[in-house]
Amino acid sequence: MMDYAGRAAAADTFPKLLRLNAREHGGDIALREKDLGLWRLFSWNDYQTRVRDFALGMVELGLGHGDVIGIIGDNRPDWVSAEIATHAIGAMSLGLYRDVLDEEAAYLLSYGAAKLVFAEDEEQVDKLLALAARVPNLKHIVYSDPRGMRKYDDPRLMRADGLAGLGRDRAGREPGLYDQLVDATRGEDVAILCTTSGTTAHPKLAMLAAGRVLRHCATYLAFDPKGPDDEYVSVLPLPWIMEQVYALGKGLLCRMKVNFVEQPDTLMNDFREIAPTFVLFAPRVWESIAADVRAGVMDSSPLKQSLYQLGMKAGLAALARGRHSATADLLLFRALRDRLGFTRLRSAATGGAALGPDTFKFFQAMGVPLRTLYGQTELLGAYTLHPFGKVDPDTTGVAMADNIEIRIDNPDIHGVGEIVVRHPNMFLGYYKSPEASAADMKDGWMHSGDAGYFNDDNQLVVIDRIKDLAETARGERFSPQYIENKLKFSPYIAETVVLGAGRDALAAMICIRFSIISKWAEKHRIAFTTYTDLASRPEVYALLRREVETVNATLPPAQRISRFLLLYKELDADDGELTRTRKVRRSVINEKYAGIIDAIYGGQREIPIDTVIRFQDGTTQRIRTRLAVVDLSPDAPLAEAAE
Amino acid sequence: MAHTLELRGVSLRFGGVRALTEVSFGVNEGELFSIIGPNGAGKTSIVNCISGRYRPTDGQLFYRGRDITALNPNARPSLGIGRTFQNLALFHHMTVLDNIMVGRHHLLKNNFITGSLYWLTGARREELEHRRKVEEIIDFLDLQPVRKATAGTLPYGLRKRVELARAMALEPQLILLDEPMAGMNFEEKEDMARYIVDLNEEFGMTVMMIEHDMGVVMDISHRVMVLDFGRKIAEGDPASVLADPHVKRAYLGEEDEVLVDPDNTPATTESAA
Repeated sequence: MMDYAGRAAAADTFPKLLRLNAREHGGDIALREKDLGLWRLFSWNDYQTRVRDFALGMVELGLGHGDVIGIIGDNRPDWVSAEIATHAIGAMSLGLYRDVLDEEAAYLLSYGAAKLVFAEDEEQVDKLLALAARVPNLKHIVYSDPRGMRKYDDPRLMRADGLAGLGRDRAGREPGLYDQLVDATRGEDVAILCTTSGTTAHPKLAMLAAGRVLRHCATYLAFDPKGPDDEYVSVLPLPWIMEQVYALGKGLLCRMKVNFVEQPDTLMNDFREIAPTFVLFAPRVWESIAADVRAGVMDSSPLKQSLYQLGMKAGLAALARGRHSATADLLLFRALRDRLGFTRLRSAATGGAALGPDTFKFFQAMGVPLRTLYGQTELLGAYTLHPFGKVDPDTTGVAMADNIEIRIDNPDIHGVGEIVVRHPNMFLGYYKSPEASAADMKDGWMHSGDAGYFNDDNQLVVIDRIKDLAETARGERFSPQYIENKLKFSPYIAETVVLGAGRDALAAMICIRFSIISKWAEKHRIAFTTYTDLASRPEVYALLRREVETVNATLPPAQRISRFLLLYKELDADDGELTRTRKVRRSVINEKYAGIIDAIYGGQREIPIDTVIRFQDGTTQRIRTRLAVVDLSPDAPLAEAAE
Repeated sequence: MAHTLELRGVSLRFGGVRALTEVSFGVNEGELFSIIGPNGAGKTSIVNCISGRYRPTDGQLFYRGRDITALNPNARPSLGIGRTFQNLALFHHMTVLDNIMVGRHHLLKNNFITGSLYWLTGARREELEHRRKVEEIIDFLDLQPVRKATAGTLPYGLRKRVELARAMALEPQLILLDEPMAGMNFEEKEDMARYIVDLNEEFGMTVMMIEHDMGVVMDISHRVMVLDFGRKIAEGDPASVLADPHVKRAYLGEEDEVLVDPDNTPATTESAA
């Protein structure tokens, strides 16, 4: 195993570590990017050169210590190079999600007073130019992809290659300058402003010091070792703390190869070509992979279907005995792993929300070493993880190191309370917001706001956000998310919101999974036109009713769904209904669908809808339909009889 | 100014049916020129005359000053004329990549005999070069996710885009697009309009487009010509064409002499109107 901590001590900022890697392993592959159908290689030397040129280019523009530099776009070598270059000149990097709304971008860029933004392409440049007057500090917009840029004549615009050219010239005139800049960087200085996921209001910016990020990565690597022969595919959003940890921190520290896909849409194909050794997916992605496999099986020949059933049964049976079935491997799993690009996986993780136990078992049986991790941006991402051999889908594992202290505050009789944590490498506070820092940090402990407890095995179990635990009018506490996750394990349900806080019973608003149900409808010769139309078909209602009843059977009576309806549209982050990491924003939903929610609880059998949907491109569509409410409570009049 | 493409008094008759009657117009270098008109106005007939599928009954066609009226269809791509079809004409069982590669056929120097000596005759280098060009087009049209998909399995909007890619692979100087947006939803249309504008501005191709959707045409075209019953009834920049009373009548279905009696000569129509 490599000496990660030693390396983090030898070079305590990203630019220092990059320079060290370039000196010692200059010719080795650091990054790959798929472009024009081919994987292009970037050695540590190439990486270092691009970073140096960007950094000196920014120096030429008069930028330096204390400035904020924004970065927005798809994951690409220029993205990570821009970040390290920003750190090299002593500035702070602020990553923005590529699908950030104008409002949010304006807020973050003006709050951080960003002077320069690296924007990948026309799409992002459009966004920034539209903000114009609201971000008065923004003086430079650097773009990598020149396509579609002819039409602009804005003095702030500059090509990334142009910026690099400026830097190259400066390096020619002052050969020692870059090294001086890098030597001047300090590990305890704020290097990264990391947006917190913000399920409420505006996101906060956590100040992270590079030295701490690297030391925390070293801790993580000591628990889950990686090295230069490891392959990683970078597809999580780079502004997110975990991708900062993987693509930058860990990538620099253990020199695993970081690969960038051609386009978000080619992910699965490029993923398979690389066959990475490690992957972190959100539960939603694992679930949709599992759902895609099942949908693919539904479409295949009867022979393949029975082989799949046979293999799955043998695999799950072996897993239940703690073993791996060689027969199942031969029949099914080897081909499946290859198809999904999982052949070389040595470590796989999920986190951010609970993953359905059945999905968990599905992948474990397949031989994917899936584990759960848990953490927060403020605590530099994950700090608990399952140890190998002690994987329990209901828990999030144990602290990765002894210096990570976790305690449960204000536990109730079952030991459930708030998860409170501290470790030596946590964040330095929120940017320009000491009040917010003081609210979450007390005596050096970070209050996570999550409810959880330690189980008998001393593993941490996370239930939900404390404030998201809801109580019915009858005083029964429940976690909407827990029930939603159970429902979403059905391949037919894409998204759902469970209601019931302060009400007499639980109800669910369900968004059908269009890709699967449309196929199902085709197979059953059910004609439909749009999503809205499909979601209102009685056959679809009957199908979903069976799914909800199946889930109800696994829940205690007080937590069962008594009514549900199928929503006329999908919940969308663009409408503010989901966060960028696709968590349900309950307050927005409660407000936006107040009429529907009241009607559900008012006992209405049918709710007339007349609304206008606004698309991202500004076009609108009027929707008029009637939503049927299905009543599942035992004392309800029989739905069939009423129809 | 000499036109890149010019039609002089082109008429086309199928037996007693007059598809085109003395149509004359010119497309300038670097222009995005559109032809609109109701169904059966003769729009596709014009494209077929230019690409050589039909021989005009009367009149002449000039491309860069050269009379191409009698030139064989297969000789026209080498002159720099490419086209797409209103009803898709892809090789359904081939991949998207291969479909686009076909577009480069006339640019290949090696034939199947010299190609068998792969390394000796430069066939390998040639293939790499062509593949790179094709990849650039794939990149331009965002076809990466379907690069290796079988063309026949793709949704209609995407197949239209593959057709455009194949026409682009010819590296034409003049590209004829026959209803590139027919049958598309709003979003697909917007994307396609973007590609066509970029094609014109970024690749510097002269574009002659036939289209149904007035909105898109008026948005992106430099000049527009309107056909009705095989005759030209208006030509000019989008604003003036929209304001033209003949066009209004043709599109709004109001009674007009041109519609009532298609055998009238345009001169009579003018005086009657």
